[in-house]
Amino acid sequence: MMIPRANTMFRILAVLSLCGCALWGQNVDVAVVVNPKNPVAILTLPALRKLFAGETRTWPGGTPVKLIIRAPGAHEREVVLRLLRLSEDEYARYWTTQAYRGEGTEPVAVFSNGMQKEAVLAIPGAIAVMDARDLKPGLKVMKIEGKLPGEEGYPLH
Amino acid sequence: MPCLARSHVWAAEEPDRIVCAPVRPDGRAQQATTPPTLTDLDQQVQQLRQELALLEAQLAAQAAQPSAQQESLVPPPAESLPKAERINFRGFGELNYKVLDQRKPEIASGGFVAGSAANFYTGNFDLLLTAPIGPRAHVLAEINFEGADAQDFDVDVERMLLTYDFRDWLRASAGRYQTSIGYYNTVFMSSAWPQTTVDRPLIMAFPGEGGVLPVQAVGLSLQGVIPSGNLGLDYVFEYGSSDTIRARLNGIGSDDENNGNQVNIGIFARPDRFPGLEIGGSFYHDNISDDRNLSIRYGQTILNAHIVYVARGLEFLNEGVVIRHAELNGPNVFNMPGAYTLISKQFGHVRPFFRFQYLNMNPQSALHDVLLRYGPSFGTRYDFNRQIALKLQFDRTWRKSQLVLNGVQTQLSFAF
Repeated sequence: MMIPRANTMFRILAVLSLCGCALWGQNVDVAVVVNPKNPVAILTLPALRKLFAGETRTWPGGTPVKLIIRAPGAHEREVVLRLLRLSEDEYARYWTTQAYRGEGTEPVAVFSNGMQKEAVLAIPGAIAVMDARDLKPGLKVMKIEGKLPGEEGYPLH
Repeated sequence: MPCLARSHVWAAEEPDRIVCAPVRPDGRAQQATTPPTLTDLDQQVQQLRQELALLEAQLAAQAAQPSAQQESLVPPPAESLPKAERINFRGFGELNYKVLDQRKPEIASGGFVAGSAANFYTGNFDLLLTAPIGPRAHVLAEINFEGADAQDFDVDVERMLLTYDFRDWLRASAGRYQTSIGYYNTVFMSSAWPQTTVDRPLIMAFPGEGGVLPVQAVGLSLQGVIPSGNLGLDYVFEYGSSDTIRARLNGIGSDDENNGNQVNIGIFARPDRFPGLEIGGSFYHDNISDDRNLSIRYGQTILNAHIVYVARGLEFLNEGVVIRHAELNGPNVFNMPGAYTLISKQFGHVRPFFRFQYLNMNPQSALHDVLLRYGPSFGTRYDFNRQIALKLQFDRTWRKSQLVLNGVQTQLSFAF
């Protein structure tokens, strides 16, 4: 009977743990974050969808909404596309058409959650979706359907 | 020795000997086979310091005396520009090829010049410019270069709008706009690229191509959200002048409608429970003339209703209008209906579609050249990528007192 060598066992365990992390990463909650000065604290899913579809363009108080979204390939972006019920191609066409209609401003795509954080802190009306594990002090986390990330029943992950 | 390259890491071989080793692709540092002595390292440090000082001196000299060529090539940083100067450009273009089974084509069937024997033509080449003016205002201009006879182009400012977003419940625009009669005219504007089919439905065709609706106007437009909870109601109110000259469908002459000021009120719902669904309607009114007898004025009322679903790759558009021409000082009243239905579904890069349209204009009305016409169109749109699409469309149109018209259209449209 062949017994795997120690380093082979280690490699198998490493691969399994990486796969586990990847799968777990897909199910991790994503938080909706806004500037701390934003007066809104709770959003429903339809309200969030309207924000990221550009249909809601101002916050209560009149501050213009500024959409920040991760670049293609990021899990947070997939969550937003799922919310909008659009594929990546449909999303691109949607915003080209919206720009053509003169409706709304296309979201700014950034490459990291760190950049999302900087943008949200710098722009009063900014809103972004980011991995809850990457939350940093200073960001305001919105309740979605009355739940915060990590709470049972939180809908975005 | 300092590690200058990022592909190196510090690696501790032994407590008293530290080396800088290159990193292998797996991220681990390679072991140094012949560790240098302290004397060797000291010499290398001195040498590198001298080279560094020389490089810093050269960079300082270049920074102090930039050449004129360098100055002209370096753009000013974007942050230093006022926001109003950041103009966003987008463009839309199309190339068309069309074949009909009759020698006498119609204007409204795709931009053909009546009597022309040629098959290739360009439709609209649109330049869209938008620029913010402060946090809540922006300007939009759409300049259209429309293909005409003998490869000429007519330049037209399709839209020119100054918009101010007060709140979600009030967005005010002033300038030239597309009238919000129905869904199609509001969403697809002038360009062929956003729409699935090669051409617009007959009832939404532009007057310059024989269309029957006043699809553009100059004036004031207000729109916004009506507080309505999950119902998702929006409104639009327009007041302006939609003075329209209609090209006749046979390509011979045109009719100036001498429109008075128009009022258009629309309301539509996007229920939260059904993302992608929109149900709405609009009421439009102005006064027009019959160009054959300018002493006759009609009150023109256009009622529109639409129900559309666009989500999950499915596009299902249904829209109908009733155009009512009521003679102001006489007994004549004409109620003229039109409608279309369009369904398409995306499968990867391919989007097959089917459309059926119907239009019935009274021969005694100001829209006398249109008459009854109806029929199906079907085909497919192939998206090479997110910006280039090729469309193929077959049409069959029954026309009152004329032969059935069959056509094949192809279109290469693009956005940039």
